[in-house]
Amino acid sequence: MDVLLTDEQEMVRTSARSFLDGECPPQLVRAMEADPLGYPPDLWRKAAELGWQGISLPEAYGGSEMPLVYLGLILQEVGRAVAPLPLHSTCVAALTIAEAGTRAQCEAILPAVVAGEQVLTWAFAEEDPRARPEAVTMTATAEGGDYVLSGRKMFVDNFVAADKCLVVCRTAPARGSNAGLSLFIVDTKSDGISQTPLVTTAKDKQSEVLFNQVRVPAANMIGRADEAWPIVERMLDRATALLCAQMLGAARKDAELAIDYAKMREAFGQPIGAFQSIQHMCADMVIWIDGGELLTCEALWRMDEGLPHSVEVSQAKAFCNEKCLASARNAQIIHGGIGFMMDLDLHLWYRRVAAWGMRLGTTYEHRARIAEALIDRPGHVVLGQPVPVEPVAAEPERRVA
Amino acid sequence: MNFGYTPEQEELRRQVEAFVQEHVTPDVLRDKEAQDDVMRGGTGDPFGSHMRELYRKLLDRGWLGIAYPKEYGGQGGDRISQYIVEEAFMRVGLNISLSGSGAPAIMAAGTEEQKRYYIPRLISREITFALGFTEPQAGADLAGLRCRATRDGDHFVINGQKIYTTSGHLSTHIYLMARTDPTLPKREGLSIFIFPLDTPGVTVRPLWSIQNNPRAPLGTTYGEARTNETFFDNVRVHESTLLGGENKGWKVAADGLNLDRVGAFRYVMSVRRDEDIVNWLKETRLEGYADNPAIRDKVAELWTEAQVCRLMTMRSMSIVQRGRDFSYEGAAEKVWAPEHGVRTTEAITQMLGPYAQLLRGSPHAVEEGVFAHNVLGAFQSGVNHGGVQIMRDQVARRGLGMPGPRRQKAAGN
Repeated sequence: MDVLLTDEQEMVRTSARSFLDGECPPQLVRAMEADPLGYPPDLWRKAAELGWQGISLPEAYGGSEMPLVYLGLILQEVGRAVAPLPLHSTCVAALTIAEAGTRAQCEAILPAVVAGEQVLTWAFAEEDPRARPEAVTMTATAEGGDYVLSGRKMFVDNFVAADKCLVVCRTAPARGSNAGLSLFIVDTKSDGISQTPLVTTAKDKQSEVLFNQVRVPAANMIGRADEAWPIVERMLDRATALLCAQMLGAARKDAELAIDYAKMREAFGQPIGAFQSIQHMCADMVIWIDGGELLTCEALWRMDEGLPHSVEVSQAKAFCNEKCLASARNAQIIHGGIGFMMDLDLHLWYRRVAAWGMRLGTTYEHRARIAEALIDRPGHVVLGQPVPVEPVAAEPERRVA
Repeated sequence: MNFGYTPEQEELRRQVEAFVQEHVTPDVLRDKEAQDDVMRGGTGDPFGSHMRELYRKLLDRGWLGIAYPKEYGGQGGDRISQYIVEEAFMRVGLNISLSGSGAPAIMAAGTEEQKRYYIPRLISREITFALGFTEPQAGADLAGLRCRATRDGDHFVINGQKIYTTSGHLSTHIYLMARTDPTLPKREGLSIFIFPLDTPGVTVRPLWSIQNNPRAPLGTTYGEARTNETFFDNVRVHESTLLGGENKGWKVAADGLNLDRVGAFRYVMSVRRDEDIVNWLKETRLEGYADNPAIRDKVAELWTEAQVCRLMTMRSMSIVQRGRDFSYEGAAEKVWAPEHGVRTTEAITQMLGPYAQLLRGSPHAVEEGVFAHNVLGAFQSGVNHGGVQIMRDQVARRGLGMPGPRRQKAAGN
């Protein structure tokens, strides 16, 4: 038990921070909001030179095979710089291919991801945006050696920039514990795909994507037909915990901007940061962000250890949704009027923190998941001990700490 | 970064939990409850024979003061293992930790002689301290305290009054902060003294809290049934009772308070009701509670907050374990956990409705009235031992480098 960063983790954080301090000024963030692709390819390649895309991918495909905690540290820094890089969507999809894909699928995609030559994303949400298998209505039908995909996906991150997209489809009606879902690797340039950009508060690149009779070779299926839900659930959990890391990095920087401003801005003859009303806002911001960071790190650590983690992921996201936004709102309030002027950079953080809190599970959804684990499963709960696990999931052996 | 226990620590946890099951008997708990009825100088034993026996067994197993060096009567072990023992006992209502004992401050600031004398005796509970900080006119503004210690050769003569000297009627010693130089700025003229409470001129009088009648079930809420006011009337103590040197008391106290907060005590107090309400919802015969979406949402929110309490405790433990100094982390924990305890308590009152008002001993009291007693006790955690607003000041000033108040003049009293 030592919840602080190791020296090596500190080093990873520090070097990522200094790289982005140099390479990703707010002007670049602003420019990319107006860019059709939404990211600078040369910065993407430089990130690959640092090994970011492959940090948690297997060594066999050129990655560094570091625990997810390390990818979390990098994404925290990406969030801190609000860097316009499609790193989150790429890593989430790549980790799922690495975990559940065939050797051929891994070989075809992962080395290119590690080299910074491919951008990936995934598509799950539809009209009902909740992370429930029932929400998937898009179909895939076997036809010869192919599957034919038809349906509509919403809120697909970086689709405009992506080469490949992991698409969750219904191949069978849900039956008992089998959700009837399958997962496909789809080339984003395939015939029958059309996308419409969404206009978002974060000014990031999300799309509504229409699949009209899109043919995908059966060899592009990840896992077995109709049985993809456990793979997808793990993908969504990883995506959620990693998005928390990104949110926390942004919220931390945003809080620091407000704290620095409060030390400098004078009113009533002294810095406003000398007033307790402001100090206590700032103290709360730091306490909240620290809390979110501890929850998120524990969730990622449990994934790395192969321990049950869905409650921990939901705790992290439910908490970050509320507390990161509250912190960013405080940062706006401390700045007063200048805080909502386009010229000041502060809104770059506020808009993203707010938007990320709406993606990958709202506070209500995640709390419903926590409540289900706490209340609906038999057995007493003790804080600090794992909540009773679902009977089907055998608990993996714990690695030596 | 590691959120797990080692196999050895897991094994210790199992052993301690089994020990608690077997040896923390109703007799031991009765001894603990009887403490409140023992008046200093009365005929009762403030420890009780069963409690003494329990401590002997704990000493035999080497489970007290695990993280203290062997030469001072500890085990030279790690802080996490010590925490594991503390938590298991806190869960049955016994605080066997050395948090709040003065031991961390003595380790940090004591002379070699003081460490050799006090630490083993604090570990064995031969010596226990009452904390003499707060005065009727000096609570949050602790540095404004007036209790005077005037030098007289190699002695000091102490005059003044302390309030909320909790367990002053049970403890053998006091850990007192007094003003030794009124001409200096107020934080610079303070000193800490440690000496026996039976020194002539010391008078301890009871103050009864709102938790007094009926009393909360053992260890189920923050706050004691009885605290005290303590008077010092020409109390003569030798200069060797100074801890950390003359006029050095502010730093000794500030560091000591931070260290004193580390551990299982406040954390367990702040989160037990979260467990209780979940387990109550699982078992209640009443319909429409466990499946009420508003209650489910609130319970999940509170559970998440409780995890943050646990993780902040783990962070503080990690800092101590590494031998690092606190910047603001102890203060952050002391904001979050007490306020969380209050939020949980108040939310539960709105889940249980009229049942949540029933105190211990009342017909129909839920879980021996713990929820009702927390209405009286939970908020005290945010008041005692550094109020939450003072803690926020510390986070902002020590942690974030925000400016402090401008004035700082001589105490002048």
